[in-house]
Amino acid sequence: MLELDQLSFRYPGQTTGWQFGFSVAPGHCVAVHGASGTGKSTVLNLIAGFLEPDSGAIRLAGQAIQNLSPWERPVSSVFQEHNLFEHLDVATNIGLGLHSGLKLTSDQRQMIAQSLDRAGLAGFGYRMPAELSGGQRQRIALLRAILRRKPVLLLDEPMTGLDPDAKHNLRTMLLEEKARGAILVLASHDEEDRKVLADQVWNL
Amino acid sequence: MLFRYLCLWLLSAVPLVAAAEQQPTLNVYTHPSFAAEWGPGPAIKVAFELECGCTLNFTVMESAGDILQRLRLEGQSTRADVVLGLDTATMETARQTGLLGKHLRRLDNLALPINWDDEHFVPFDWGYFAFVYDTEQLAEPPASLDALINAPDDLKIIIQDPRTSTPGLGLLLWMHSVYGDEASVKWQQLKGKILATTQSWSDGYFSLFMNGEAPMILSYSTSPAYHMAIDNTDRYQAAEFAEGHYLQVEVAALVASSQQQALAREFLDFMLTPNFQRHIPLKNVMYPAIDLGDELPDIFERLIKPSQTLFMAPVDVARDRRQLVNDWLDAMIR
Amino acid sequence: MINRPSNAPLSHPYWQLVPGIVLGTGLIGLVLLGLGSLLVTAGHLDFSVVWSSRYLRGVVTFTLWQAVLSVLLSLLVAVPVALALARFHDFTGRALLLRLMELSLVLPTIVAVSGIIGVYGRQGWLTTMVSEWFPHHGWNLYGVNGILLAHVFFNAPLAARILLQTLEAVPAPRLRIASQLGLRGWWLWRTVHWPAMRPILPGLAALVFTLCFTSFAIIMTLGGGPATTTLEVAIYQALRFEFDFAQAALLAVIQLVICGSLWWLAFQKQMPTSLMPGRRFSNPITLRYSVSQRCLGAVLLWVFFVFLTLPLFAIILRGAPALVPLNGIPALYFQLLPATGRSLLIAIPAGLGAVLGALLTLAATHKSSGKMLSAIPVTAGYLPLVVPPLVLGTGLFLLLRPGLGNTAQGWALVSFINGLMALPFVIQVLRGPLAELDDNSRRLADQLGVLGWYRWRWLYWPRMRRPIALGLAYGTALSMGDFGVIALFGSPGQPTLPVLMYQQLSSYRVADAAGTGLWLLGLLMLIFVVLSAISRPAIRTQRVTASPSVVEPEHA
Repeated sequence: MLELDQLSFRYPGQTTGWQFGFSVAPGHCVAVHGASGTGKSTVLNLIAGFLEPDSGAIRLAGQAIQNLSPWERPVSSVFQEHNLFEHLDVATNIGLGLHSGLKLTSDQRQMIAQSLDRAGLAGFGYRMPAELSGGQRQRIALLRAILRRKPVLLLDEPMTGLDPDAKHNLRTMLLEEKARGAILVLASHDEEDRKVLADQVWNL
Repeated sequence: MLFRYLCLWLLSAVPLVAAAEQQPTLNVYTHPSFAAEWGPGPAIKVAFELECGCTLNFTVMESAGDILQRLRLEGQSTRADVVLGLDTATMETARQTGLLGKHLRRLDNLALPINWDDEHFVPFDWGYFAFVYDTEQLAEPPASLDALINAPDDLKIIIQDPRTSTPGLGLLLWMHSVYGDEASVKWQQLKGKILATTQSWSDGYFSLFMNGEAPMILSYSTSPAYHMAIDNTDRYQAAEFAEGHYLQVEVAALVASSQQQALAREFLDFMLTPNFQRHIPLKNVMYPAIDLGDELPDIFERLIKPSQTLFMAPVDVARDRRQLVNDWLDAMIR
Repeated sequence: MINRPSNAPLSHPYWQLVPGIVLGTGLIGLVLLGLGSLLVTAGHLDFSVVWSSRYLRGVVTFTLWQAVLSVLLSLLVAVPVALALARFHDFTGRALLLRLMELSLVLPTIVAVSGIIGVYGRQGWLTTMVSEWFPHHGWNLYGVNGILLAHVFFNAPLAARILLQTLEAVPAPRLRIASQLGLRGWWLWRTVHWPAMRPILPGLAALVFTLCFTSFAIIMTLGGGPATTTLEVAIYQALRFEFDFAQAALLAVIQLVICGSLWWLAFQKQMPTSLMPGRRFSNPITLRYSVSQRCLGAVLLWVFFVFLTLPLFAIILRGAPALVPLNGIPALYFQLLPATGRSLLIAIPAGLGAVLGALLTLAATHKSSGKMLSAIPVTAGYLPLVVPPLVLGTGLFLLLRPGLGNTAQGWALVSFINGLMALPFVIQVLRGPLAELDDNSRRLADQLGVLGWYRWRWLYWPRMRRPIALGLAYGTALSMGDFGVIALFGSPGQPTLPVLMYQQLSSYRVADAAGTGLWLLGLLMLIFVVLSAISRPAIRTQRVTASPSVVEPEHA
């Protein structure tokens, strides 16, 4: 269970801030809903630890995580774009998600290759991100997030701007993760995304 | 890669450390041309080590000025036993440091244009400052300092700065010896002919004179000996000036705090023997401090022989130098 | 959990801060001690001496004046050259021109000056040629002309090189927009080029100013006489010939104050470099240039190319006779080769040290918060430029006096000081490329736990290898060609290359010295070429290897 307990945050110079409070059970997805600029990304950044809340708590399975550094939090993020390091090839980009110094076992290397195969990206390991389409880049980002096997997936408009095929691909992958018990927090202004993925909606 | 280089670097230093030997070592501070592979240093090292059963070590400073500077900085803790390469313009300042010992030698076989009875410094070579000219550019050089000063301004000369260079200071003293209080006026007259005032003799000789930028450069009366003997060319000659030429004597002295006083005195004695002196004429391109007789290369017969030797006592140089330099600056900036 | 990211080595934030701060504090302390020991030995300072002496007033004024003029001229040349180089990737001989530009800064002054004189002097080629057509051209190298010419020769290429690096780092989206809008001329300059250059111009101007302000041998050789004396000459005079520590310390303090306040001003104007995104896109973005612009750019680059190469040709022509084996191998090689080895032994650690120091300094600059703390690494990075080496060396000597023993220690010290002297240049080279990661990459790296050493290895190193190679080349080459420091501490009988050349110079071996000069020139060129070549991105052969993408700037 991921719980946001009276989590409040205000950007410096802002008069009114936000207060978030919801909880999601494993295998469930919450969609954060609101017009752009209303703080969808803010809540995701708070959970990921990129922003520090003014007060309140974030708990995962009863454990408070709001004081942990981003790298200590059991979460993986996929943003709308810029999910990959442009100067590193696809396999390295994914590999860094498994070990931050790329010290991979042969099993892990195999796992990367297999998952690329399954995602229809066989042989893409050597490609540079700049050579890929937007949909392919997002799939690789999601693949990395999935391979990290973190209990929480934070999705910040991951499918915006993609063609219907790519969207479909990604949704399928996300549904699989849900079925496996991952907690999904989805920020999206796409009706369709919410309908397919979300079990509950938090309105801003 | 970094590691490998570091190891290499450290390793290469080991033999130097390990080379310390049981034999007594005599440390001599000197200037680069003396210790150069082709300079007098290596041959003298061999010759002296044969006699003394010791090791002779040269430490090379950038110039005579640096030898003195280093000595002052190191003071009593200096590793030098002998300093070699100071000259008559700097020796009084060196004496005033109180760091040098008396040589206690008789110095009765000297062959210098002046009398020498200094109790600290032993001369090892000497020469005159002179303007060296390129015969291909200048057929008839001025015959006197006066003629040079009064020459039209399209005759260009290269001099060195008396604040940074030995010959530069030499010219200042030369002008002062000839003109006394009128020197400033004469400098102003000379000014239009000065193409460049370089930091060092080397800068002027290499960058300017040998590039043909000016037909005349302030140098030594012995410079043509090198060009004639080694380069086999008569192209560069010294102009003899009627007023006489200013003398430079290069000297050595023993360091008072040295643990090797006896050895150091042995070296000073050795300095005035043919075994040392025969390397001076062509390797240091100066006159030897003793009469070498037939061993003096014939080329030296073809050098100019100034009618008069100009020389200021080292004490006076030390006292007046600053004022003279300031007067010179004033004259040149005006 | 599969990974334990916090295990990344050196990931504690202090690792980015503390070494740089320690280094900076150490350096500042060293300089203060050096200067301090001079001041202590000197006793008391009387600043009124300077203002009351017409000569010293003149010196300060002249030093300032020529430095300002030199900066203006150097930048006036450097900006168009950098722009032209950034625009025309297909310029024939671009790579060669870049190597030449790197070379000019590190050339030993005496070698370069002799080359300049060979071209522009009274008997120089160009002067002789021009004289045939225009007998009354009135050109005279000696005086302010020569000083400015030489300063532009030394500094414009450096400035252009650094500016180019900045221009190449312009974010691709901005270029795309400019390209889409078809911007050109004034608007392109206003929207793309000027904003890119503006942040580094103050620092660059301060760097060039300091170099010209402390210029020494050039000014004396080409200046024509004591009317053109800089503070550095006066310091040298005071220290070497008058043994007037008080005067030397006084002048050094004045120099420190003038250059120091300039650096301070430059940093007040400094824009934050972290605004610069690190992302690059694969296709080179084509901006619109008219035919006339292309022609103008090509002409400009050719003129600059000729300006840089002519003196080098003069050096080659002069030095070749001593090196070309006509009958058997010239004896000179038996001196050159061991001297080269010794020089490398000093220069390579100096170069590595300078790069490491620059990286630590820059890391600490990025990381430190608070004005006082961040001032330390910044100051340390520029101090070596401002404090005359002679003053620093003398001070250090006074400090280390009893401990200075054998040759190896002496050489290590020379290597150390050379590295120190190269630090400011290496910092300039690395500063732009080492800007912080952009926000997205930083968040991503944080979440993945790519921290500390891993972050350096995977995120910085791939894009830093070429700038680092360039910095290493600068550091090594500067140390290689250094005449000053090695003489300061005295060298053993075995000479390094510059000492060998010095020996040849001071014993009439003019041809050999020219040969050694040429050898040194070739060696310096080799350093730049080799380091540039080995830092070129490797061809991808292995799985999961970091391969810098094709979009890396071509020039570094």
